[in-house]
Amino acid sequence: MITIQNLTKVFRTEEVETAALSGINLEIKKGDFLTIMGPSGCGKSTLLNIIGLLDSANTGSYQLLNQEMIGLKEKGRAAVRKENIGFIFQNFNLIDELSVYDNIELPLLYNNVKSSERKQKIEAIAEKLNISHRLKHFPQQLSGGQQQRVAVARALVNDPKIILADEPTGNLDSKNGNEVMELLTDLHAKGATILMVTHSDYDASFSQKTIHMKDGIIFSERLNQRNVDVFMDTK
Amino acid sequence: MIANWFKIFIYHLRQNKLFSFLNVMGLSIGIAGVIFAILYWNNENAYDQWNPEKENIYQVFNKIGATGDIWSSCSVPFGRTCKATIPEIESICFFYNWYNNDMIKYKGQKFFHKKIAVSDNGFFDMYPLPIIKGAKTNILKERNSVAISEETAKLLFKNKNPIGKSITYNYKDYTVKSVYKIINPSSFEPNYIFSGVTRENDEQSWGNFNYAMMIKVKKGVDIATVLKKMQNVNYVNRTLKDAKANGQTPEQYVKENGEITVMLDKLSTARLYGIKSTQGPSFPEGKGNLQLLYIMVGLSILILALSLVNYINLATASAIKRAKEVGVRKIVGASKKQIILQFVFETAIIVVLAILFALAIVELSLPYYNTFLKKSLSMNSSEFYLQLIFIFFLIIVLAGIFPAIYISNFETLKVLKGNFSRSKSGIWIRNSMLIFQFGIATFFIIGALIVNSQVNYMMNKDLGFNGDQIIRVPFNYQQYDKKQAKYETTKQELLKTSGIVDVSTFAGSFGNSTNSSSGFTHNRIFVQPQNVEMDFGFLDMMKIKIVQGRDLSSKFASDTIDNWLINETLAKTLNIKNPINTIVTTGWGNEKGNLKFKIVGVVKDFNITGLQNKIPPMVFINLKTLKWNNFDNIYIKVSPDNLTETLSKLDKYWKKNINQDYPFEYEFVNKGFAKTYQEQVKQKDLFFILNLVVIIIAIFGLFALASFSMERRLKEIAIRKTLGAETNILLKELSKQYVVFCLMGFVIGIVPAYILLQKWLENFAFRINISAVPFGISLVALLVLTLIIVLTKAYQVTKIDILRYLKYE
Repeated sequence: MITIQNLTKVFRTEEVETAALSGINLEIKKGDFLTIMGPSGCGKSTLLNIIGLLDSANTGSYQLLNQEMIGLKEKGRAAVRKENIGFIFQNFNLIDELSVYDNIELPLLYNNVKSSERKQKIEAIAEKLNISHRLKHFPQQLSGGQQQRVAVARALVNDPKIILADEPTGNLDSKNGNEVMELLTDLHAKGATILMVTHSDYDASFSQKTIHMKDGIIFSERLNQRNVDVFMDTK
Repeated sequence: MIANWFKIFIYHLRQNKLFSFLNVMGLSIGIAGVIFAILYWNNENAYDQWNPEKENIYQVFNKIGATGDIWSSCSVPFGRTCKATIPEIESICFFYNWYNNDMIKYKGQKFFHKKIAVSDNGFFDMYPLPIIKGAKTNILKERNSVAISEETAKLLFKNKNPIGKSITYNYKDYTVKSVYKIINPSSFEPNYIFSGVTRENDEQSWGNFNYAMMIKVKKGVDIATVLKKMQNVNYVNRTLKDAKANGQTPEQYVKENGEITVMLDKLSTARLYGIKSTQGPSFPEGKGNLQLLYIMVGLSILILALSLVNYINLATASAIKRAKEVGVRKIVGASKKQIILQFVFETAIIVVLAILFALAIVELSLPYYNTFLKKSLSMNSSEFYLQLIFIFFLIIVLAGIFPAIYISNFETLKVLKGNFSRSKSGIWIRNSMLIFQFGIATFFIIGALIVNSQVNYMMNKDLGFNGDQIIRVPFNYQQYDKKQAKYETTKQELLKTSGIVDVSTFAGSFGNSTNSSSGFTHNRIFVQPQNVEMDFGFLDMMKIKIVQGRDLSSKFASDTIDNWLINETLAKTLNIKNPINTIVTTGWGNEKGNLKFKIVGVVKDFNITGLQNKIPPMVFINLKTLKWNNFDNIYIKVSPDNLTETLSKLDKYWKKNINQDYPFEYEFVNKGFAKTYQEQVKQKDLFFILNLVVIIIAIFGLFALASFSMERRLKEIAIRKTLGAETNILLKELSKQYVVFCLMGFVIGIVPAYILLQKWLENFAFRINISAVPFGISLVALLVLTLIIVLTKAYQVTKIDILRYLKYE
């Protein structure tokens, strides 16, 4: 689904050049659940942003669904983004002025989905994420966990090909954090492709594979043991 | 403390150079507008206020019962009888309520001087001007006396003593009795005051309303009683006598002919709020234009309001950026009062700057303003500076207090926790002010469009006559009784000159009406038509059409005896179905009784006065019919080729044959008529300039507000972009609300625009009707401007770096 070859990203200021990514190679297949870990400034968020088409790389190749993304103009990137990618952020990034319903509706609006269909989809996803009773509320009226579930609902409502999660549990306490991770695992089990950035080993353990980054390069990849289920059973 | 406040003020000033500059400029334009209005207001309200007798002096008006016209002139015996029989009246004064511009001769030297007034001995009772030299009382008692102003004395006599010197005016000799000092502004600011205004044969003529009259009453008398007594003088001497002569009871007579109503106008308020005479201005310095004054004051207040709204909007919007500063200040111990003081202090600095700018703007544009108002205003009275200080405090209160209180009410904790920049507080006030601004802009655009189309209408209207290539030349021939014959020979000689196509005349001028008017009754209907005494061929030269019957012609002997033409309006007023050959008893009489005239033609209506007035009823007779000789111009149709040569020939001819004392003058008839709407042309220009100012201020306000509120939404925009929003969708999203505000403002603006412009148009008898077009144009113009401004800003914000706002907020 995603093939990245020799990707580099350099940040330039007037005096210094900093290589955020230097020669990244990565492949993500359909149905994968990948975690990127690493210390602050290792380039993991930059990589995620490039994959999410929020940022652009300097050199290298990035193919999404066999289409080259490097060199695409803003308009093309917006089009690819709205069809294929769902975002989940650490700080949720919900629009405070809009109700939960309206927030979830946004991606559908931008994808020109018919209004009857929109209503169905929103209700279905709200049902699934257990926020149906909150649709008329505004983000500020919800707990952190509920807000993140709204964000997840918004990310999923349009059936994206890949879900990008940037520290999804960073702003949540452990109980709410767990809920979100269970949600992601559940989605994965149902076939979703997920790429997650996190600091937390515990969160990473929910995924299939963890990539460790440092100073802009990937230095280890390892498959996670499936001890997750055991842990969950004991809970 | 002040130093600290000042430091942070300077910091913000430098941070937002453009906005700060525009803010100060906006305010200063608003203040400049108010200064202009104040200068005008002060000047107009200062008229005659110097006069210690201003509360005791009244000008006398007569409302003519039959027509409802108000005349600013009185008959001499009426005035004399009032003075003799009413003890409350201390003195009376007859005068001409216009100035002459004429030639004054002193020892063979000729001076062509302006502002020459003619009055009688009562003048200095009414206007107690300080006497510098000569007699202090009974100055104008003898009929050959003259008083002159200080400046005139210098021009005429240099350093010599003027008293007792003899000067010549209008071929009569006058002795200088006194030199006075002019005090302005005043309803009379003459350079000369000649005595002997009344003529011998007016003394017993109750029907000759030839002179304006003022009365001075004793202090503390009830003016209503005086008015009643004056009315009684009129009743006893006019109504009763006329009724008797008609063989009717007074009641019957009044019912049929109406009665004169005497009206009094106090000098202290006459300039602005006085009675409007149908005969034009009732004082030589004219009347104050109250409507223009209100327009100026109203518009300047609107512009100031606009700039204040801008200031408040910007101050509250940028206050959000300063929320943290306020929070910190509160934590370290600042009280709410201190915070308010700090922000009022900042406003005060801005207002001081704005006032300085405003004074500079006024100083630079005052000459143009003076030309516009035909005045010489200046910024030097202490009254003005007091008003300026008052404005200073008023603006601080209006502009400063609200934002200061708003800022001081920020909740400290919320502010410090961050996330305040997305607060919605105060947003409804800013939006409603924006709507208000749109309303004002709508008003101005519609106003300018309507004024513009009325002026265009006046400039292009078919007046019913054609003045192309026709010039009016003043005919100052001194021997009054030989004027007619002189005109005939002049005409014959001029017609032989190459370049001159036609020569004719009538007693009057286009744009100013005719020189006389005589009332008569026909079919029991009283009318007061204008008399057009004209030469044969006059109507033909002016291309004025005859709709029925024929023009007067030299071929018919009776055309100079008892035939006349009437215009359509008169035919309609008199309700004559077949006017041709109808015999009408005129108001003109001789020893045998009133003359009877036969209508031989009906003239198509044409505009003789400005388009403010309806076309009056008119009668047309030949110059020779009554031999009044009161025409004072010759109308000459010139060929467009070699015009300069023709004019110089006329110049020579005039100097040689007509009057060597007067400079040759001429004016194109069309240009003369254009003077009747000169003021409206100026109002149009004024509206245009103000429109630019208003639109600039409003656009700046819109831009600033849109900037602030869109920058508040940067995070939202980033989120939407992340979710795949395309630029054009975002643009729509961002500009939608401004279009709605624009429409709301438009709706608010159209009502006052419609009402006030309708009122303005009521000044004109010939006017356009308000159509939907100016409303449509202004709506489109406003929308386009709004979209340009908002979309530019919106486009700029959609180009932001998404990541920055997703992460760091």
